[in-house]
Amino acid sequence: MKGVLYYHIALAVAFGLLSCQHRQDSHNELTVWSSNNPEEIAFVRKYVGKWNEAGYQGRTVRFQPVPEGQSSEEVILAAVVGRTTPDIYMNMWQGDVEDFARSKVLIALDTLDGFLDFIYDRCDSLVVAEITSHDGHIYQVPWKVNPVMLMYNPDLFNAAGIAEIPETYGEFLTAGRQIQPIGVWLGISEVNAIWWQRFFNFLPLYYAASGGAPLVKDGKAIFNNTHGIEVFAFLQTLYSHGYFPKEQMKGQTDPFLAGRVASTFTGPWTIHYNERFKPDGFRYGFHTVPVPEKTTSPVYTYGDPKNMVIFNTCRDPQSAWQFMRTMLTDTAEHDFLTLSGQFPRRKDLDTHSMFIDFFEKHPELQVFARQALYARGMDSEPYMKEVLDLISQEYEACVVYGIKTPESAVADAARAVELLYLRK
Amino acid sequence: MPYLVHVLVFVLFPVGFSFFLTFHNWNIIGPMEYTGLANYKRLVQDPLFFTSVRNTLVFLLLHIPLQLILALGLAVALNRQVWFRAFFRGAFFMPVVVSRVVVTIMWQQLYGFETGTINRWLGVLGMERIGWLTDPAWAMPSIAIMATWKNVGLYIILFLVGLQSVPPSLYEAAQLEGAGKWQQFRYITLPAIAPTTFVVVVLSTIGGFSLFIEPYVMTGGGPLNSTLSSVLYIYKQGFFYYHMGYAATLGIIFALMILLVVFVQRRFLEKNRP
Repeated sequence: MKGVLYYHIALAVAFGLLSCQHRQDSHNELTVWSSNNPEEIAFVRKYVGKWNEAGYQGRTVRFQPVPEGQSSEEVILAAVVGRTTPDIYMNMWQGDVEDFARSKVLIALDTLDGFLDFIYDRCDSLVVAEITSHDGHIYQVPWKVNPVMLMYNPDLFNAAGIAEIPETYGEFLTAGRQIQPIGVWLGISEVNAIWWQRFFNFLPLYYAASGGAPLVKDGKAIFNNTHGIEVFAFLQTLYSHGYFPKEQMKGQTDPFLAGRVASTFTGPWTIHYNERFKPDGFRYGFHTVPVPEKTTSPVYTYGDPKNMVIFNTCRDPQSAWQFMRTMLTDTAEHDFLTLSGQFPRRKDLDTHSMFIDFFEKHPELQVFARQALYARGMDSEPYMKEVLDLISQEYEACVVYGIKTPESAVADAARAVELLYLRK
Repeated sequence: MPYLVHVLVFVLFPVGFSFFLTFHNWNIIGPMEYTGLANYKRLVQDPLFFTSVRNTLVFLLLHIPLQLILALGLAVALNRQVWFRAFFRGAFFMPVVVSRVVVTIMWQQLYGFETGTINRWLGVLGMERIGWLTDPAWAMPSIAIMATWKNVGLYIILFLVGLQSVPPSLYEAAQLEGAGKWQQFRYITLPAIAPTTFVVVVLSTIGGFSLFIEPYVMTGGGPLNSTLSSVLYIYKQGFFYYHMGYAATLGIIFALMILLVVFVQRRFLEKNRP
C-alpha cells in the first residue's frame, strides 16, 4: 500500500517537473487558438507558417484549434480560470468581451503601437463605438461577420403566386396567407427560451426595425421601445396565424430542403450545408429580413461577429498584435474569404478592388457582402447572455404561446434586465 | 487514512466551499465579493426558484407512483412461469443501461408534434395530436413517463428479488384458507416486500430530485418554465450566468430540502411497516 502511494507521489513530482520544462521552452513562443472550422484552421496554419519563416524578433507562433468542449465559450472560460489561456484567441464572441474586460483578463489593444490607426482605417465609427468598452478601451479586433438574412425558396413563393420576396411585415403576413393553401409553412425559427436562439429571430428583426439600435446601454433596456414591441407583435402573429410551426422538426430531413417551409432566418454558413444536401434542381436565395412598413433606415441585421483578443497571460502583447496584423492585411483577408467563404468585418468589403473579383465569381455571396456593412454585433455591456435569456423568457410567453401582449412582454423583459443591472 | 483523504477532498471541501460561496458574489473569472446574506434574501424573492421546486415535486408525484405500480406489476408478472421470461427480463432492463442522453433524444422524436410516432398513432385512432413537449400542461408528465420507462427495469429486478424471498408456504397456507389472488397479494406479498418497496421509493425520490438531463436536452426548461427542475436551475445560474454564489445558495437549500423529504419519507414508511 505504501509502495503504491510513493509511486504515485513520484509520478506527480515527475509530471510537475516536466511541465516546468515545457513552460521554459515556450518562453519565446506565442500561442494562438482559432475555431474548429477546417477552412479557418487551414488559413491560420498558412499565416503561422509564414510568420515562423520570417522569424519576427525571435518569436515563433504555435497554433492549435480551440480544444474540444460543449462550446468554445466554455472552453475559454475554463482556460481563463485555469490560467491556461492562449496568447491570441481568434473566435471570441463579442458578447463575452465586456465580462472578460471587467475581470481584467484581456489586454487593452488600444495601448499597443499602431492599433488605433489600424482600427479607424478598418472600421467605421459605429463599429468602433460598438466594440469600445465602458472604460473607453478597446479589447477586441473585429475579424469576421456572418449576417443573418432571410433564406427563401423562390419556387414555393412562385407556386403560391407571390412574385416578389416580401420586404415588410405586411407583405410577409400576406405571403403567409397565400402560402398556407399550398400546404407549406411560410417559415420556421427557433422557439425555445434559450438565449442564443434569439440570434435567428428577435435580434435580426429588432436591428432591422430600429436601424441598429442597441439592446441595452448603461444598465437601461433600450429595446423597450416601439421597435421591440413591433417585432414581438409581428412574430406573435406569425405563430398565432399558423404561418410558422412551433415544432422544430429536428432529427429529420431539413424542412427547408425538404420543401416543407418556404423560408428561414439564417447566415452564409448554410450555403455549404445546402449545396451538400439539397435535392437536384432545388433553388434558394437570400434577402434582407422584413421590416415595419414605415422603415426608412438601411436594413440592419445581427452579424454574429467573431473577434480577435489577446489574453493578459501573454508576455509580449506587442508581438502578438504584430502577428494578428499579418492576418488582417488585404491579401490575408482575400485569402480568408476565398478559403472559408466567411466575411471580413471591414467597411470597404464591397468596394475594395481586392474583393471585387471574388464576388464576381461568387455572385450568390454579394448579398451578404452588402448586408455585412449593416450587420451589428452584441452591445459592449456585461451579462449579455442573461439579458438575452430574460428576453427569451418573455419571447416564449408572448410570441410562441400568446399568453402575454407584446407591450407587457417587452416591458417585463425590460424590467427584469434593469433589475439585473441594479443587482450587480 | 486514504478514505479520510477521499472524504476531505471530494466531500467535505466541496460542501464547505459551497457554503462559503453562498455569502459571496463570484463570476469565476473575477475576484469574490462578500455579500453577507444577500444570496439568501434573493432566493426567497426569486419566483423561478419556487417554480423549479414546484416542477420537481410535480415530477416526483407523477414519477414515483407510476414507477412503483409499473415495476411491481411487471415484477409480479415476470415472477411466474411465462414464455420467454428471460427475454422479457432482459428487455425491460435494457433501457437502464442505455445512456440517458440517447434515450432523451429518442423520446424527443417519439413526442414530436407534427411527425412524432405517438401523435401519428393518435391520428390513426382518430384522436387529436398532443403537444407532448410544446404544451406546458403536458411537458412535465411527458418527461415523467420517459423517466419511468428508462428506470423501471432496475426496480423490476429489485422487486423480483423481494418477491422471490417470500416463502411459497405462505401462499399455500393462504390458498388452503380460501384466500383469493388479490387477498394473497394484499396480505402476504405487499407486507413481505415492504423493505424492497422502501428502497425503491427512496431511490426513486433521490433520482427524481436530480432531474436534469431530460429537461436540459428535451425542453431547455420550457415551455414557459414548466420543466425547469431545481438542478437545471442551479446549473443555469452557475454555468450559464456564472452566478456561482447564488448557484451555491440554491444548491445548499435544495440539498437540505432533499434531506428533509427523505427523513419524512423514512419515518412514514417505517411507521407503516407491518
